[in-house]
Amino acid sequence: MQTTIQLILTSLQIGAVYILFSLGLTLIFGVMRIVNFAHGHLFAVSALVVAYTVPWLASGGIPVLPAYLLSVLAGVSVAMALGFLMYIFGFRGFRRDMVGSFILSIGLVLLLDGILLKTFGGAVRPVPEILPGTVTILGAAVTVQRFALCVAAVVITGVLYLALTRTKLGKALRAVSIDHEAAMMQGIPYNRMALAGFMIASALAALAGALIAPVTIVSPVIGADYLIKGFIAVIVGGLGSVPGAILGGLFVAAIETFGAFYFDPSSASIGIFLLVIVVLLVRPKGLLGHG
Amino acid sequence: MDNLKLPWWLAGTAFALAATFLVRDAYIASVVNLIAIAALTAASLRFVMLMGELNFATAAFVGIGAYATGAAITILNWPFLAALLLGGVVACLVSIVFGYITLRTKGPYFLLIGFAFTEAVRILYSKSSALGGTSGMIGIFPPAALDAWMPTFIMAVSALLIFGLYVLERSDFGKILTAIRDNENVARTVGLDILLCKIACFAAASFAAGIAGSLHAFANNVISPGDFSFLVAAFALAYVKVGGEDNVVGPVVGSVLLVILGSYALGLGGQEHIFYGGAIVLAVLALPHGVTGLAKRGFAALSGRGR
Amino acid sequence: MQAADQPLLTTKGLTRRFGGLVAVSNLDFEIRPREILGLIGPNGAGKSTTFNLISGFYKPTAGELFVFGRNCTGKSPLAISRMGLVRTFQHGSLMRSMSVRDNILLGTIHGVGRGARRRERVAETAEMLGLTPYLADEAGTLPHGLQRLVSIGIAFAARPRLLCLDEPLTGLNQTEVANTLTVLQRIRDEFGCSVLLVEHNMKAVMSVCDRIVVLHHGQHLATGTPTEIRANGNVIDAYLGHRHGH
Repeated sequence: MQTTIQLILTSLQIGAVYILFSLGLTLIFGVMRIVNFAHGHLFAVSALVVAYTVPWLASGGIPVLPAYLLSVLAGVSVAMALGFLMYIFGFRGFRRDMVGSFILSIGLVLLLDGILLKTFGGAVRPVPEILPGTVTILGAAVTVQRFALCVAAVVITGVLYLALTRTKLGKALRAVSIDHEAAMMQGIPYNRMALAGFMIASALAALAGALIAPVTIVSPVIGADYLIKGFIAVIVGGLGSVPGAILGGLFVAAIETFGAFYFDPSSASIGIFLLVIVVLLVRPKGLLGHG
Repeated sequence: MDNLKLPWWLAGTAFALAATFLVRDAYIASVVNLIAIAALTAASLRFVMLMGELNFATAAFVGIGAYATGAAITILNWPFLAALLLGGVVACLVSIVFGYITLRTKGPYFLLIGFAFTEAVRILYSKSSALGGTSGMIGIFPPAALDAWMPTFIMAVSALLIFGLYVLERSDFGKILTAIRDNENVARTVGLDILLCKIACFAAASFAAGIAGSLHAFANNVISPGDFSFLVAAFALAYVKVGGEDNVVGPVVGSVLLVILGSYALGLGGQEHIFYGGAIVLAVLALPHGVTGLAKRGFAALSGRGR
Repeated sequence: MQAADQPLLTTKGLTRRFGGLVAVSNLDFEIRPREILGLIGPNGAGKSTTFNLISGFYKPTAGELFVFGRNCTGKSPLAISRMGLVRTFQHGSLMRSMSVRDNILLGTIHGVGRGARRRERVAETAEMLGLTPYLADEAGTLPHGLQRLVSIGIAFAARPRLLCLDEPLTGLNQTEVANTLTVLQRIRDEFGCSVLLVEHNMKAVMSVCDRIVVLHHGQHLATGTPTEIRANGNVIDAYLGHRHGH
């Protein structure tokens, strides 16, 4: 029982990050019908900036929590600026061109991989502990940092969900993702919606990167693994579906955690792949997918 | 089946083979091998692009071919040609099963599942101690008599298979593939079994990818799971995009250009990823029809002015 | 083998619901050999749904479908098309990036084994549709009227026993309409192929069809010759919208 609770908590922690990732991917796909493999690099850039600025600010005498918050601001800004550049000079010309956009994104992946490795080096960067201590939930211990990460991810997901369902922008984004031509006929400006969707997704990846930096080992290639899992989560849930992204993220995290505990991590990875195959056999467009 | 441009093929292949006769330097031989294998992999990727799908599982099938050949040589002691052929056959068979399940999906789903498949297969090699685990297999040698002629042999096999794919593309089967990309529903209404045609296309491309893997194994003598990550497909995509995807020569031109430039850049201490990434981004943004498309337009403009 | 005058297609109580909406309700009709049957009705009458039901693209919620005397309820579009029922689509029923020749060729591949025979049939089909001068052109670059003919060409190249056309006259000028109607008559008379014509152009339907089936709100309203349909009070009301909801 103790073990199960511990595993469920671990699943939720990993799942929280996958959800932020898959929400961004599903949003971009919904609005622009593109697959962006460079999404993981926005995450990596943000995490790297945080990993570099926290020790730097802390050595300047700033207490560690404010230093971290400042770093988050810096990391998210840098990653979003990168996202903006990607959009303006690249993806803007590839809206609704799945193959073209994907090829562009693969080019960006290789380019950014090389640039990040050159700039930051291959070495990993430890981030000092921001929130020390552990909390106990139902008899299972969790570090305060990981707990805070979960809470932040839940809050971000909740805010995004409310924004998509309640605000004018959110409704416009959803309308575009269901039928962009009909939405344009209703007077919704598609170009601005595409940019908005892309930037919101960039912000989600950047926040995920900034949140994960203190609890993991940050390296330039940190985005790749999360990206693959994030994509698997959206295939399972259905590309373009927000509830699907959340469901898929939790699913993948649970299989990964339980599989790694009862078997080993590589069996868990193969298990995730088999899960995708089974889902696609039954529902070629994912569990909650429609278009 | 008319108009296969046979004279051009014969001339091109003869030229490529003649070039390999001149190779006596081990480094240049390795670059020539790399070009031939890259061109075959790129041609395989492009063949599935004919029906409008990006097949990132290409990387997995290159790996499956290499491992099948490696196992045939080092574990089963099979003869050279049989081991070579086995790579293609195993990749083809696996692709039929994989395609039967995944080709019901399209676009992003098919693309992403190919990605996941590549990673899953790589984990399988790493876990299998018979296949050498994470360190891979060693000692995959061609017959000693053929050693000096490997570049010629690899070039010949590669040219033969690319020509085979070209013949398929120009046949009525190739027209079905274009029709699937253009308008699958119409093709479905005139009695064509679309899923079957897709699987056939996928299987043919995977056979070529498998042979590319076998050739890779014989050329390098050593293989490991790290050789067959999604980067194999990403690089192949770079060759196709830079060369131009509209005709079969594109991937070949792209492979020649990028492999030579890439080897040169690496010699300068450049970064392979930055080089290939930059090439893809530039090609996609500035050369939508690749180098061959540019050459074609330039040629058309020149002959237009000459008239 | 079926008798010469046995219907090519029969529906019995064909019904399709989408959620709470009944798009087609308890529909009975038949298509006979060597006839051009018009399927008409105001917008939302269920014409497209019927079309998708008989070509296998939708599965019926209830009822049965017989094609060439065989029960085809729930059969796949592929199975139905291979029996000799070929359909077109309302929009873009062709391969835009391919030449007209390759478009028509596609229709011959399943039925004709040898390449040379396929090319003969492409030439014959193009000749009948007046597409011979355009064989080398990219289909997507042709004017709208010719694209519509190419769509019919692809379907007819399969030499179906029943050709189902979804609004083939939309957007055509008078000459093109007349030309297309002549083609349909030749398909019927020279090849003995029946044609199901879903169309909005009432004048054209009245002039070319042997019989007409009228749908209204997903239900069968009337069947008869053009003369009978023209005189049918219910049909006139449905189209004019009087006594709506009786």
